[in-house]
This record gives sequence, structure tokens and C-alpha cells, in this order.
Amino acid sequence: MRIVLTTPLYPPDIEEPAHYIKELAKRLAPKHSVTVITYGYLPEEIRGVEIITINKKRLLPLRLFAFARALHKSARAADVVYTQNGPSVELPAALVTLLTRTPLVMRLGDTRASTRAASHFFLRLVKGFALARASALVHDSPLPKVEILPFQSKPTAALVEYEHSWEKHLEQLSSFFHYEN
Amino acid sequence: MKTDQEKEKRNWSEYCEKTLSKLSPIVEKLGYTLGADQPHLLGERFLIRPLAGGRKLVLVGHRISDGAKVVIKASDEKYGIAELARERLCRNTLEKMRFAYQVFHSPKELAFVRRGGFTIVVTEFIEQDSSFISRPVEKEFALVLAAFKAQEGARATTYKHKALVVQTFGEMTAADYYKKARQYTEDIVKLISNEEIYPELVAALAHASAALRDNQERLDQYGGFLTHWDFTPQNFRVRDNTLYLLDHSSLRFGNKYEGWARFINFMALYNPALAQALLEYVRINRTPEESESLKLMRLFRLIELIRYYASWLPRTAGDLHKLTSERIRFWTSVLCAVLDDKKISQEKIDAYTRVRGTLRSEDEKHRQKDLH
Repeated sequence: MRIVLTTPLYPPDIEEPAHYIKELAKRLAPKHSVTVITYGYLPEEIRGVEIITINKKRLLPLRLFAFARALHKSARAADVVYTQNGPSVELPAALVTLLTRTPLVMRLGDTRASTRAASHFFLRLVKGFALARASALVHDSPLPKVEILPFQSKPTAALVEYEHSWEKHLEQLSSFFHYEN
Repeated sequence: MKTDQEKEKRNWSEYCEKTLSKLSPIVEKLGYTLGADQPHLLGERFLIRPLAGGRKLVLVGHRISDGAKVVIKASDEKYGIAELARERLCRNTLEKMRFAYQVFHSPKELAFVRRGGFTIVVTEFIEQDSSFISRPVEKEFALVLAAFKAQEGARATTYKHKALVVQTFGEMTAADYYKKARQYTEDIVKLISNEEIYPELVAALAHASAALRDNQERLDQYGGFLTHWDFTPQNFRVRDNTLYLLDHSSLRFGNKYEGWARFINFMALYNPALAQALLEYVRINRTPEESESLKLMRLFRLIELIRYYASWLPRTAGDLHKLTSERIRFWTSVLCAVLDDKKISQEKIDAYTRVRGTLRSEDEKHRQKDLH
């Protein structure tokens, strides 16, 4: 299956959506063709995953246009576009998938972006447009990554739980993406 | 040479004496008194050149109304005043930064005034139940890790962010780090040509500079993060498990691991177990690229540190000169160890601290007591 992941944040960014998308891409890559489109410069690479970055330092309209253009190129051949919420990707994802007729699945994982959208008319409008376009919404998230800390015993149980939460999450996504997990 | 050191020390003492006598009545009018013992003016303080060229005094005082201990920073020199104003601007900007999601704790500002040609900043004194370095290593680790994570929470990457923060804090890119490293290397080579350590140090510097030149992409990959380039225990205090940042003028945007590197290099001497724990944490929990970035920043900060002590060589004499040479020798060993991905041996640390103990002046020992 050809999957395009779009996200406003990607490592080296440190926020949860950044790590989520990287981890997801890593886990999907062995069985699928995965492309990540994100804003940034010098992203952390993943073996077998194409990562397209749009320079964040450009002016907003220019970077939105560049993002939409890159997404258009990838989405035409994709089976699904999975987007992280956030206006800078919601707008191009909704517009491009409308043009290419590619199914759009949206994850509402960035709570800060949701809070901002709630108090801003234009951002609310963009989010509403993307939500209307999305064929499925993903609210659940796997557990946060477990850190192994010096001076503490290895959190074996937490690591098992973390793996389990990802298995469950991928199972849920497979039903939205319509692939065999 | 001895005359130079004595002259510099005498100048500093005279400046302190003159400034304190002018400052004392001014701060009294503001409702504060200066303490009789001012450890931050003693020892090697006279050699520590201010960042931008202006002198400022960091003093301990008390509030007259309730006897509460306070910290008073004051300067009547152009660049010293500018540094105090900049520090305040950084502190205030930090609080306003929308993308600095984590909260940075600062001692409360009690006064910021301009009186009699002085700019004076009074802040609360953060009383610690124990000094940072006397805490158990597990606690130290948890505290600093939280502080580093808080700094990493602020990343200036978009056009809007850049316009807001770069003007205030300044930014270092990989090209800037390399340019500085090259300049420091040239300076060191000139300053230490008569020292026994010369061949070993020059080879290590060449190796480290080449690493910074050849891995600029790795440094830039983790660029744009808020970092405190002088993150050592003398610049923060801990109360009720909360870390308070004392020096905001050392904040800038740069490589994510610049602050880590400074701290780990410092702890390679003062607490190797903590340094090792931080390196292990990065190795296990973060990407290999991040460990590379941390190593490169450690190299940069070590070149900078050696350059700092090398600049003392022509200005010192007697025991202080010998101590400066020993410092350069020790930090060269650390530089070589980092280049080889090894730890500095405990024997070398012990030997250095023994020599340092015999060469340090009593005044400097007194100043150091309160510093960490």
C-alpha cells in the first residue's frame, strides 16, 4: 500500500506529533511504501521511508504552496493520505486530496493545535474543511515512548505495554487505511 | 609578568572598592544593604573578563524591611549596563514566548532602577537546602534532565519565530560554531607556544576543528533550539525541586546540545558519574545522530574552554600561572578523551584536583565555596 503521512512537526522537533509520525513511519515501512511530508530542514532519516521537507523559514503563503505542491505529487499515486492535525497541513491536505480524490484520514493528536483552532475563526474554518474531507478520524494515540533512565531498573513492563499500545494502534489504522495489518 | 597580574588585580580591587562606596548609599535608599562579605568579588574574579567588555558587580545583600537575602547586580559602565539590560530583556522575552511551552523559573525581580549613573538589578536570593553538587547523583540527574528538556521545548524554526527571538537572544549556526572554533584554535596556538603541552594540544585541536568542519550538517540538524551556553551549577539554584535560572544573558538559540555539552564537560571533572549518566541517557533514548551532535558540541565547548584559560597565561604569574597551565593540560586530556570516545581517567581527575588544591589562593577557595 502507498501511504503518505503529512505532519507539521517531525524530529528533530520534539513534540508528541513529531515522534508519533516518525515511529509510525518506521513501523509501516517494512510492509508499505511510506512517504512523509513535513515542514523542516534536515529531518531524522528512516530506512526505507521517503521524507520530503518544506523549509519552515519561508513566508507562510510560500511554504503552504510548496507543501501543497509536494503533497499533490505524492498523493496522486497514494492509496491514502494520513494527516496530523494542525492548520499548516490541514489546509493543503484537504485541498489536495479533494483534487486527487485520495482518501484522507486525519489524526487529532496535536491538542495544542486544536486549542488554537478553537479560539481562532480562520483556523477553525480550516479545521472544519479538513474534518469534512476526512473519511475517518483517529482520536486514539499509542502510549508515549518509555525512557530508560540511568540509576533506575529497566521499565520492562512499561516497554511491553508500549509495544502493545502500538500493535493496537496499527490494528485500528489498518481498518481506516483498509490494509492487512 | 608578575607586575601585570598584580596590576590587574589591584585595578579590580580599586574598582570594587570605589564602586561599592558609591553603590552602598544608593541601594540603602532603595531599601537594601550590602553584605560585609562579597565572595563573588574575590579570588580569580579579577581575571574573568566580562562578555561584552563592561564590568559589573554581583553582590549579596539584604532587604532592610525583613532581612531577606537578595542578589544585587550593578554596573556603571556602558557594556556592563547593556549586559544587565539584555539579561532582563531575555528573561522577559522568555516569559512571553508562545513556543516556549515549558516554564522557565527565574528568581523574582525586586527592583530594576537607574540611579547615580548605575543600573541596578535586585532579585530574590534562592536559598538552597543543599548545593547542587552535594545532592545524590540520581537527584542531580533528574533535575538537570528536566532543565534540558525545558530548554528543548523552545525551538525557533519558523519565519515568525526567527524574527521574534533571534534579535533578542542571538543564534549560532554550524558555520558560526566552526568559525569560532577555528578562531579559538588560532588564538590558542599563539598563546601556548611556550607550553610543554603544545604538540599534544595542537594535534587535538586540529582533529576537533576538522570534526566540526566536516559535520556541519549534523550540527545544523539540531540547530534552532533554546540553549544556555553556560549551564553549570553556578548559574542555577534549586529550591523545592525547582530549578531557578540565575543568568539569562547566556541564553541563545543554537545547537540543542550546547548546554548539555557545557554541563557534561563540567561534570567530567566535578561528577563523572553524572556526566556518564547523561551521555548514556542520550545514547539509549535518542537517535545516534543526537549522540554525534552532543560529541561535536563537547568538542566545541572544550576548545572554547581551553582558549579561555590560554588567554590567562600572559596575564598570570606564580601559582596562578602554574594552575592555568595545569588547567590547560587537564582540559586537553578531556578533549583527547572525547575525541577517542573515552572517559577521562579517575587518576587524571584526582591528580588535577590535588594540584589545583595546592595552587589555588585562599580567596579563590572562598569564592568557589558559594559558587556551586
